[in-house]
Amino acid sequence: MSNWQSAHPGEGLLLRLLDGELAARKARQVRRHLEACWQCRAELESLEATVAECVRYRKQVLAGFLPEAPNPWQPLDRGFDRVDAELAAAPLWKRLPRLAPAWQWGVAVLAAAALLVAAIVQLGRTPSVQAASLLEKAVAAASAHPAPVRTIGIRLRSGLTMRHTVGGAAGNWLPLPPDIETAFQAAHYDSADPLGARAFQSWRDSLPQKTDEVETESAPENPHEPCYQIRTQAAEGELASVTLLLRVADLAPVESKFEFRDRNWIEFTQVMEPPPQPDGFAVATTHEAPLRPVVPSRPAALTPRSSASISDELQVVTLLHRIGADLGDPVEVSLTDGEVLVSGAGVSPERQRQVHELLDGAANVEVRFSEPEAALIMPSAPAPATGGDTANVGIQTRLEKQLGGRAAFERFSTHVLDGNEAAMSHAYALRSVAERFPAGNEESLAAPDRVQLHQLARDHVAALETQVRVMESALAPVLAGLGGKAVKAASAPAADAQWQKAAEDTFRASRHLEVLLSVLLGVTPGQNASADLPSQTLAAMADLKAGLARCQSLLAQ
Amino acid sequence: MAAFYMSEELVGILRQEGAASALQTQVAQLFEESREDVYRYLMTLGLTPSRAQDATQEVFLRLYAALKHGEEIENPRGWVFRVAHNWGLKVRARHASENPFDADLEATLATPAHDAEYDLLERERMLHFHRAVEALSEQQKRCLFLRMEGLRYPEIAATLGISASAVGEFLRRAMARLKKVRDE
Repeated sequence: MSNWQSAHPGEGLLLRLLDGELAARKARQVRRHLEACWQCRAELESLEATVAECVRYRKQVLAGFLPEAPNPWQPLDRGFDRVDAELAAAPLWKRLPRLAPAWQWGVAVLAAAALLVAAIVQLGRTPSVQAASLLEKAVAAASAHPAPVRTIGIRLRSGLTMRHTVGGAAGNWLPLPPDIETAFQAAHYDSADPLGARAFQSWRDSLPQKTDEVETESAPENPHEPCYQIRTQAAEGELASVTLLLRVADLAPVESKFEFRDRNWIEFTQVMEPPPQPDGFAVATTHEAPLRPVVPSRPAALTPRSSASISDELQVVTLLHRIGADLGDPVEVSLTDGEVLVSGAGVSPERQRQVHELLDGAANVEVRFSEPEAALIMPSAPAPATGGDTANVGIQTRLEKQLGGRAAFERFSTHVLDGNEAAMSHAYALRSVAERFPAGNEESLAAPDRVQLHQLARDHVAALETQVRVMESALAPVLAGLGGKAVKAASAPAADAQWQKAAEDTFRASRHLEVLLSVLLGVTPGQNASADLPSQTLAAMADLKAGLARCQSLLAQ
Repeated sequence: MAAFYMSEELVGILRQEGAASALQTQVAQLFEESREDVYRYLMTLGLTPSRAQDATQEVFLRLYAALKHGEEIENPRGWVFRVAHNWGLKVRARHASENPFDADLEATLATPAHDAEYDLLERERMLHFHRAVEALSEQQKRCLFLRMEGLRYPEIAATLGISASAVGEFLRRAMARLKKVRDE
């Protein structure tokens, strides 16, 4: 703002000046303007008077008239003791940071790592021996006492369930669905005996590399019946893992689960009920409801039923996404007490109307907004980035020069910050979806729901990618002109990475880029720009793009 | 030699205990200074007085736990308000079936008998101002209340999950509205 520029700074700048939030250079410019401009000085005094009124309001109204605490304030001593006790009871790894300085930390971590390796080696051996020994005994028991006629429940990943009656002298099974049969054959697993110890033992023995786990579990149909659970993971082959549950009392197999490399699975469970024909085999195949209510998800959500499920929550989140209510509006979705609650404070009346129109009448969904009179007004655009801290003046002056003057810099800055604002809204939304449906919960979703969830996340990833491209096309040439060097993207994802983790990393990368941009453009006072800020910004952008690519690739699986 | 090691160990324990006690003193002091502010802020979020009081106590204990765990906190007061805000929203969500607490300050302010010493004109002025504050959007109000408690823009931004520039914009709109009301 030289003597040639007579534009008044405006309320926003004046308020930021009063609040000490203006970069040093800009603050100097505004102060110089104020010395010369009566109108702005009067404006500033009026703002100061309003600030003083706020202070009076806080003191007289909020402190004076809000109810006092209902009980006398208790000293925190007892609470301190509670926190100390909780921290003392926490696992060692949680307590370590407060126990020791950095070097002791290092020693402790090394020692722990050594112990861990030793434990893994030891544990790696013990379950293998246990598993082999248990299977040996189970095969012997099965040879001594052939399995009686029994009913077996079969559950597939698709949700289909069947019952077979098997056993007797022949011990025959009905043929499995052809694709499952083929998968068993490809995995070199005897499909004629999927609930038998012998087939499991043969398959396990044929594996060149495997990991065993042996635990004690209760039987699926009888919680009072203890069982051994043997789980063997194969390093390669069609079958990723097989889990067999053997009754402790007689080592009879009661359940087996097969997880294939393509994430398909099938489960066989012995059903505790008398078979329909005592001497028969392979006599009945019926399709019916799942044996155990373990999958709360359902494809046809938002249809009447007694209580809401995680699937309903997903439907609501998706519907809100369609009207853009997941981007910056303070609309909360929670699954509590059997219903999906959509709530929010300070949501604009228009948005409230849209949400009501969308969700009123949906079963098990409650829409409840508070403070309906309040109107949320989102800023039309972020305050233009102007000026910079003393230490950052250099880079911003160079930017101005490169862009062709102050006005061009302002336009550039607004353009980039607008892009960043839009990108951040999708980064927040993506993280919110990932947090709401963590990997553990996602497993319990039905296949169509999972597709829908991935589509929702992909929408945010794609929108974020678009904004990053917009920012990149503006920033890359300018940063290169400032000496910034492009860097390669971060490394590829681990094979077992989850998209939720990638979404969290992407959010962090977005935040990192936002911070660097705010320093570069002089939005955040008090933060000094390092000499390689242009390179850092390019690197942050590359990291963000790599994170987005990881999300895309994991969501496509 | 054994005695030497023993005394070293003892010194270590005493140091640790001394540090813990110093930490407790610091947190207790901040609690003493700021608890009423945090308590009031939680009521403006719609928490009932008893829940706001419990939450206030809990927030300061969390500060103690975080510090004891080795977390570096540059501005403990800002941290306390950020945690109080999030904690308050969780408490509100947990009791979403209840109406948010409303102190009905307007009615209190409009009752002259409430405080005879309170100047009538001043009361009128504050009532007018209070109505203007109440008419602000929720985000503007949050930014304003947190700013009143001394939080800087980046701290408010971190509390509300928005950018610092958005905080500046919300505050500008709030102040423009309040200035207009004050000047009327």
